[in-house]
Amino acid sequence: MAQMTMAKALNEGLRRALEDNPKVLLMGEDIGKLGGVFRVTDGLQKDFGEDRIIDSPLAESGIVGTSVGLAIRGYRPVCEIQFDGFVYPAFDQIVSQVAKLHSRSHGVYKMALVIRIPFGGQIGAIEHHSESPEGYFAHTAGLRVVSPTTPNDAYWMIQQAITHDDPIIFCEPKCRYWEKGEVDLDRPPRGLFDAHVAREGTDVTVIAYGPSVRTAVRAAEAASAEGRSVEVIDARSIAPLDFPPMVASVQKTGRLVVVAEAPANASVASEVVARLTEECFYSLRAPALRVTGYHTPYPPSRVEEEYLPNIDRILDAVDRVMGFES
Amino acid sequence: MSEIPLVQLLTPEGERVTHPEYESTLGKDEIFGMHRDMTIIRRLCNEATSLQRQGQLALWAPLQGQEAAQIGAGRALQPMDFTFPSYREHGIAWCRGIPPEKWLRLFRAVDHGGWDPQQYRHSVPTIVIGNQALNAVGYAMGVQRDGAEEATMVFFGDGATSEGDVNEAFVWAGSFDAPIVFFVQNNQWAISEPTVRQSKIPLYRRAEGFGFPGIRVDGNDVLAVHEVTKRALAHAREGGGPTLIEAFTYRMGAHTTSDDPTRYRIDADVEVWKHRDPLERVKAYLVRQHQVPASEFDATSAEADALAAKLREDVLAMDSPDPLSIFEYAYADVHPLIEEGKRDMIELGVGGGAH
Amino acid sequence: MWKVAVGDTIALNQPLIDIETAKATVELPSPYAGVVTKLHGEVGDVVPVGAPLIEIEVGGGDAAPLATPAEPATTPQGEGRTAVLVGYGVATNEGAPTRHRRRGGAVAPAPAPPAPITSTAPALAPRSTPPVRLYAKQHGIDIESIQGTGRDGLITRSDVERVVSGGTPRARSAPAAPTGVTRFVGHELAPWESGPKEERIPVRGVLRSMADAMVQSAFSAPHAAAWVRVDASKSVELLSALKSRPSMANVRLSPLTLVALALCDAARHFPGINSRFDDAAGEVIVRRSVALGIAADTPRGLIVPNIKDADTLDLVGMADALTTLVEKARAGTTTPNEMIGTTLTITNVGPFGIDGAMPILPPGTSAIVAVGQIAKAPWVVDDEVVVRHVVEIAMSFDHRCIDGALASSVLAHVGRFLNDPAPALLAR
Ligand SMILES: Cc1ncc(C[n+]2csc(CCOP(=O)(O)OP(=O)(O)O)c2C)c(N)n1
Ligand SMILES: [Mg+2]
Repeated sequence: MAQMTMAKALNEGLRRALEDNPKVLLMGEDIGKLGGVFRVTDGLQKDFGEDRIIDSPLAESGIVGTSVGLAIRGYRPVCEIQFDGFVYPAFDQIVSQVAKLHSRSHGVYKMALVIRIPFGGQIGAIEHHSESPEGYFAHTAGLRVVSPTTPNDAYWMIQQAITHDDPIIFCEPKCRYWEKGEVDLDRPPRGLFDAHVAREGTDVTVIAYGPSVRTAVRAAEAASAEGRSVEVIDARSIAPLDFPPMVASVQKTGRLVVVAEAPANASVASEVVARLTEECFYSLRAPALRVTGYHTPYPPSRVEEEYLPNIDRILDAVDRVMGFES
Repeated sequence: MSEIPLVQLLTPEGERVTHPEYESTLGKDEIFGMHRDMTIIRRLCNEATSLQRQGQLALWAPLQGQEAAQIGAGRALQPMDFTFPSYREHGIAWCRGIPPEKWLRLFRAVDHGGWDPQQYRHSVPTIVIGNQALNAVGYAMGVQRDGAEEATMVFFGDGATSEGDVNEAFVWAGSFDAPIVFFVQNNQWAISEPTVRQSKIPLYRRAEGFGFPGIRVDGNDVLAVHEVTKRALAHAREGGGPTLIEAFTYRMGAHTTSDDPTRYRIDADVEVWKHRDPLERVKAYLVRQHQVPASEFDATSAEADALAAKLREDVLAMDSPDPLSIFEYAYADVHPLIEEGKRDMIELGVGGGAH
Repeated sequence: MWKVAVGDTIALNQPLIDIETAKATVELPSPYAGVVTKLHGEVGDVVPVGAPLIEIEVGGGDAAPLATPAEPATTPQGEGRTAVLVGYGVATNEGAPTRHRRRGGAVAPAPAPPAPITSTAPALAPRSTPPVRLYAKQHGIDIESIQGTGRDGLITRSDVERVVSGGTPRARSAPAAPTGVTRFVGHELAPWESGPKEERIPVRGVLRSMADAMVQSAFSAPHAAAWVRVDASKSVELLSALKSRPSMANVRLSPLTLVALALCDAARHFPGINSRFDDAAGEVIVRRSVALGIAADTPRGLIVPNIKDADTLDLVGMADALTTLVEKARAGTTTPNEMIGTTLTITNVGPFGIDGAMPILPPGTSAIVAVGQIAKAPWVVDDEVVVRHVVEIAMSFDHRCIDGALASSVLAHVGRFLNDPAPALLAR
């Protein structure tokens, strides 16, 4: 057991993956000497050299596109996209090659690469530094999308992602980077694609992922002070979604609220609602609600608190599902 | 500086030198005016850095070291020309007449833009590296189709030249002879990465491969930058097609207030560039050549201080926007999800003064 | 390191101190001009974000404390924030989270006491469909109180209808009330003295099904009957011997278990009994698998769930299947699937203290066996009158396909089984 921040846990996880397999290499902007703008790769270039920790030219399509080639050659590249809002130049490579080459080559090419993206808001940043692009990737067959929310998850999930043979979009909730937590250096808490009950409750199921998990847990704490028992599930894996624990929870509570920063329209949150409505139709006592960012571009961060799912908005949804029949 | 040819008209010591192709026709008043511009934007930039340190801005991207590149280029523009900035072009914004507090709206995180781009003929900032290059070429193609005598100029950094968008912009501009000037401020760094990571050859030579001229200018020499840019803009207006200008300069400060340059560069390099300061050489030249008295420079400093104080005042008075404003410009036409979002916010008691 | 001292007059933006933050060492410029009145913290101290750092007396004499900038110093919002290298940083969110606003602007009420933490396995939410929930709500009925009779306990519209039409809402998972004499067609009747002179009960739900089934059966299949009295003493002995075995502790054995096994065994020997007369198709369908229907008296009335493939079950299997069937019927969790496809039926009238009955066939079947009570009775053995445990087994059958000979053979087979169950059980 060790106490560390999520940024440090990712750093340690990457370090261990680099030690475990010489084919693992890192590529991204400013990840070498600077150690990444969030210092997630701090010290790695010093220890593993410039051939394995590659400061790339400033081009995201280049980072991902050349990583595809490295993967074909048997390497296991871990790409860093500096911020969520800068992944779009790489979109074509991710959707057209990363997601499809395994299929197109009949499995001959393993697209064993990880694309790390710090994502989500709540950091008071300027434009393009707070977005939630996970839905685009979750929508794309051939990709898997995961998001750790604790240092322990971060430490293990990055290693599990690197050893996995499918391409994984690894979404890191940047607002949690500096939060400390226990890391068990010996044993992973659970599988890479397993959801997890972050807080138990009996009245309402709240499903969240990434930066929204902590908001949801805090809302659950506030709800408890109001006499309501809210269960919070951390999806952890965004694609595929781990439905069985979610189904069990909704069958128990009969009420569902899904929380995400990404706008609801055609989103992961909508997928969660659709599937759980299908699977738990008879158990639902109220329509499932989504609490998400509004359908606007991510706003100037001085109003992000009002744009994002906050405690008030989650509690409001809890009120509405609880009050539906009464 | 380097063996690579570069246009220089004023040495770091403030000596006027000649260049076979470029000669500055600027008189004392105009040069003094440029010194004033540079003094003011440096001062405003320092004030913004302080404001960020004091928690009044989310971020600041300082331009120290790049004043000559921006003022030289900005003062070469004609009123009807249109410019596309990235995020560090405070000097260009100044030349376009945009009030300083408007540049800071973005950095206070109360706005993504901050000014009316049509009014000032200066587009809203672009943070995603290189995006605006293609947009600018498209704008220039529109000018071309209108038969208008206007030039378009787009600004980006050395790092940006690696992005697909910038290279595609070069292809388009070359292919269509677009009336555009690509102005790359090679400040030697893309955050922590030196320019050599982006290009093995000098950036200006990229142009040749795309079929239009490229030129390197001493980016710390306001006279040279002004002259080279003026020529390139005229060339564009006259239908001569695109030019790539590489202003060879140096980012004296951190990339932004979030950056820690001590992790990746040594002080000695910075020291070298301190001797090439863009303001000092102009001042030396004005004192020596035109006997400008110290009092005039003092007056400029006082003016800059006053503007900085005004900027501070304006920034502190800048409130968070009404949360409901996020719905205002997402679409041009009514949209059901926008109406729904607004209703939701109002019912929740947020915005519209309830805040 | 402090660059100013107490008593110093300082200017706006004058460097005060170098602060090491998450990103770098930065110089903090003074946000005020004035005189330094107090410095908080020594070199090397780790100062929490938002803690006061310096006090400066500004013009009018008020000291302005300046909080630690964590990059930023203090956000314009004035809340504590943790730096994450870009932007204003993350709100620190210290303290208990609470609600600030409520939809419609209502004031947040005083917090109710925390919900009790339950350690027991949580109950599942009652399963139903939105229209049924709405229907219940419109009639002021708490859906949670209704016992679902649909698949896996699904609360159906007819479950709600039954409650609407006067039935008492039944608590979920409450033990079924013992069937009393006051119950009639699934209704709790008021006592003679207090009830209305005349009471009308709508024919719906289970009652409707029962009525329809009986009419259909009685007026399509010509019923004939036969019966036999059996000395079941050895069955009774066997059952009590088995019950005392530790390995059978959790198995609920009863005479019905043996009758069920006996009837299935008879069907194996005489498959004709396990048939169905399909008038429309002009065929008699003989089935080689027994779906053994058990007529069950439930709080809602008579239902006949069945045990699929009952012919394949052994003693314990049959006992367990019967137990489950009865429990589900009582709890109202019998699934529709368990109600269809019956091929042979047993109705157990013994518990009512009755010797025998002539039941009506459930539609789609050709034979139903009624089991009476097992009671001690005089019995002639070797011309001696002795006391024996005697039971009467009666059978109604569809005389269109089953004749007296077949019916008699089946009854005799069942009788022999009960008379001496051990060899028959061993033979299976
Ligand atoms: C597409 C994209 N990728 C990454 C970034 C993050 N980023 C912001 S500035 C910068 C370096 C830019 O360097 P350069 O183009 O030389 O401009 P400079 O900052 O030196 O003016 C990077 C990588 C971004 N804004 N956009
Ligand atoms: Mg640069």
